[in-house]
Amino acid sequence: MAIRRRRRLPLSLVVGGALVLALVAISALAQWIAPYPYDQMHIRDRFLPPNLTYLAGTDEYGRDVFSRLLIGSQLSLALGGTATLISMGIGVPLGMLAGYRRGATDELIMRTLDVMLAFPPIMLVLLILAVTPPSLLKTAIAIGVLAVAPIARVTRSVTLDLMSGEFMEAARARGERLRYMLMRELLPNIWPVLIVEASLRVVFAVLLGAVLSFLGFGVQPPAADWGLMISNGRAFVDTAPWISLAPGIAMSVTVIAISLVGDGLREVLDPRIGGR
Amino acid sequence: MSGAAPSPPTDPLLEIRNLTIRYRDGGRQINAVSDVSFALKPGGSLAIVGESGSGKSSVAGAVLDFLGPGAEVSGAIRFEGQDIAGLSPAQRRRMLGRRIGAVFQDPFTALNPALRVGRQIAEPMVEHLGLALPEALGRAEIALREMGIERAAEVACAFPHQLSGGMKQRALIAAALACGPSLLILDEPTTALDVTVEAQILRLLSRLRRETGVSLLFISHNLGVVRRLCDDVAVMYASQLVELGDVRSVLERPAHPYSKGLLASRPPLAAASRGSRLAAIAGQMPTDPTPDAGCVFAPRCPFHELRCSNAPQLLTIAPDGHQVRCWKNGVLGPWPRQAVVDIEEPVFHRGDTLVNVTGLGKTFDKRARFTAWRLSVADGRPLLYRRPGRVPAVNDVTFSISPGEVLGLVGESGCGKSTLGRLLLQLLRQSHGSVEFDGADIARLPTQALAPFRRQAQIVFQNVGSSLNPRLSVGEALERPLALFNLVEPRERTRRVEALLEMVRLPGAYRKRFPHQLSGGERQRVAIARALATEPRFVVCDEPASALDVSVQATIVNLLADLRDAFALAYLFISHDLAVVAQLSDRIAVMYRGKICEIGTAAEVLAPPYHPYTEILLASAADDEPPAVPQGASTELAVGHPGCVFAARCPHHLGSICATKPPPLRVQSASHAIACHLDTAQLALSRLGA
Repeated sequence: MAIRRRRRLPLSLVVGGALVLALVAISALAQWIAPYPYDQMHIRDRFLPPNLTYLAGTDEYGRDVFSRLLIGSQLSLALGGTATLISMGIGVPLGMLAGYRRGATDELIMRTLDVMLAFPPIMLVLLILAVTPPSLLKTAIAIGVLAVAPIARVTRSVTLDLMSGEFMEAARARGERLRYMLMRELLPNIWPVLIVEASLRVVFAVLLGAVLSFLGFGVQPPAADWGLMISNGRAFVDTAPWISLAPGIAMSVTVIAISLVGDGLREVLDPRIGGR
Repeated sequence: MSGAAPSPPTDPLLEIRNLTIRYRDGGRQINAVSDVSFALKPGGSLAIVGESGSGKSSVAGAVLDFLGPGAEVSGAIRFEGQDIAGLSPAQRRRMLGRRIGAVFQDPFTALNPALRVGRQIAEPMVEHLGLALPEALGRAEIALREMGIERAAEVACAFPHQLSGGMKQRALIAAALACGPSLLILDEPTTALDVTVEAQILRLLSRLRRETGVSLLFISHNLGVVRRLCDDVAVMYASQLVELGDVRSVLERPAHPYSKGLLASRPPLAAASRGSRLAAIAGQMPTDPTPDAGCVFAPRCPFHELRCSNAPQLLTIAPDGHQVRCWKNGVLGPWPRQAVVDIEEPVFHRGDTLVNVTGLGKTFDKRARFTAWRLSVADGRPLLYRRPGRVPAVNDVTFSISPGEVLGLVGESGCGKSTLGRLLLQLLRQSHGSVEFDGADIARLPTQALAPFRRQAQIVFQNVGSSLNPRLSVGEALERPLALFNLVEPRERTRRVEALLEMVRLPGAYRKRFPHQLSGGERQRVAIARALATEPRFVVCDEPASALDVSVQATIVNLLADLRDAFALAYLFISHDLAVVAQLSDRIAVMYRGKICEIGTAAEVLAPPYHPYTEILLASAADDEPPAVPQGASTELAVGHPGCVFAARCPHHLGSICATKPPPLRVQSASHAIACHLDTAQLALSRLGA
């Protein structure tokens, strides 16, 4: 009897995946797709509504909003991706160690992370960014470090659940070392949950990055960042709403697409659902 | 008393005709129940027996309307003369609870942990009988008393977590009977309970049946339990009813090959010789049976011939009058006995030991000391106190196992038998005492120095669901020990893995499969192969067959026996099932609350003189209705009292000496010892029911 897993992908994964792939492709090729340089000013064409020349209109300096959107996607995705990689890179090992070792190690790691959780996130990032000159990498690190605690908590709880599995005890009965236990026995069972969590974290990072830019602590003008664009367009929202609306829509699409991928992956990777 | 008689004197209470249930699984339809018909007369009791997946619970689910939207139900279900399949959900709900009560397998999750027990029993009376809550609560207390609970008022005010499993199941039965239903549906009500508690629940049920006249529809996989409680029995296999008749004739003169096999594969409650094997049913139940294409049991049937698979089997009348779904039923002999393996009975010499345990103990310490403190406001004034320490899980245990010897370890859940197994393998470190393996005191070794020992001593677990890593293929799981201990050249490993699979009688191609593609029995075989990959000399088998169906259990027990003989393995065979332990073990140790109360050869333990606890275990496991075992005056945890651990439940309690002085070890023979204050002559005398 051939037991092959039938590949029936959930619609959310297909739609979300296609959107995310498109976003990545667009941001990778932004330099070439963009009709104008993102910082080129067209003094005569200020505040133009969307038209065939300027697909998403122009802003107060006559810069092409569409071009700025495309270039801005690079910043958003880079920020989201880097921040998530940082938080996963720190949070996952910590969480696994805490859940595997229990006892004093667990207490030490988790209580330290609790302290981090106790700070309001925006305040913490603002504090870091306010006292030092802003840079994209530093924003990513700040956002990434913020997400370490929740990721470690998720990892730890999944690890704890797996620790009751008898295959873990069988591995201990063979005298397996820590590295093997974590990498081969635990990690393959944890990563499906982590991928879903990661997609959620990318969303948060993108949003937080935009918030920081909006508040003026992230990317600095004249860079084309969605958060910054929304912030700049705020003054003209009654006369030229497209300046803020376009990056807002782009942001929503990105967030929804990544969330859809996360939901879809949850369904595909859950061994209880995908098991047969 | 005949399930076959078509014209009972009164109308049946529950009549099921041509019940067919199909489940949609993706695009496919799976037959869960095919064309099942039976009738239950008022005051009668019918058992539906079958293995997991046979469809027995689906029948109960159809009566209770629990199957959900994925199930397609056809056929007639008549209850008290009314076709209830056609009722609206609201009408049906009114009928459930009032006219039909139900009790399920797991008493540990069936009660709402946030509500007091009495409230949960009162609830259906408020809902269905329209009683006011105070009145219903009063009745709940009376109901609990009827369940044989002495301190009913206390229990009614307790929360579920404060009650034992047996007590919870009594409360659930009380709730099911609260509105005076005429039918009680019990779905494996004793499966999650210890044998002694099971015996009490069964006695309670048969008393309730006598006193209230309620009818029972009893779902179980356990034929022994059925014999004690029911008049009629229906055997189900792969969605079909294969045999139906009164209990005596079906269990004593089974006519269907499957019933014969099921009965034959139960281990007898007696010591077995080394060469004996259990009769087993080869193969496994089809997951998607097609009864129209021929006999569903044919692939596993030793009496099978070509004609069996040609046409669907019809229910016919067996020679003694009950119904059976096998055209050959009149001419079949008994189920073939397993050939006795030709092997010498080994002789073990004390002193020639592989595992030697002395004074071993383990107490689990609450790690967070701070949370052990409690603030109580009893007697009107606040009192800060520390929760008393836990009872030691393993307490001063001493025994030894010779090379190639099987020591069976029997006890109820929570008696510390699994902890003892883990201490032997140093998966847990002992609180005191020593564990010697092959002359070396491994209990003193640091973890890093245990590698050579780990190769020699392995473990097989109970839980077939989690014993294999779901993300590793069978091949990867089996290769790992080979690689870890560098036993086989990397090039040779695939071949070795296939040899291991063959050793546990699985095809070599299984190495590419993942755990979710295997059945429970197959998973357990892989787990056994993994444990044996390092060629150990000692294996702890922690309830290796308990989670499996009877027929599969027999094949696993036989496999373990074959491997024991082939590789001269020593086992510590842990089980709650005395019959399974007796089948495999050279010696048996009986454990109660962390202490070994009796140890001896299998034959010695199973015959008098008994430790009083062994006696109760044996009586509870016997097929016939067990004699009334006096319940101890108190089943409270007696923390840290210095006497006999069994004193509180002992029917031969001698008075204060049992509670204050630890029992002496009464040596019966070179191999047999009993820890009891009763002397040898009294132990030999004290027979329950005598």
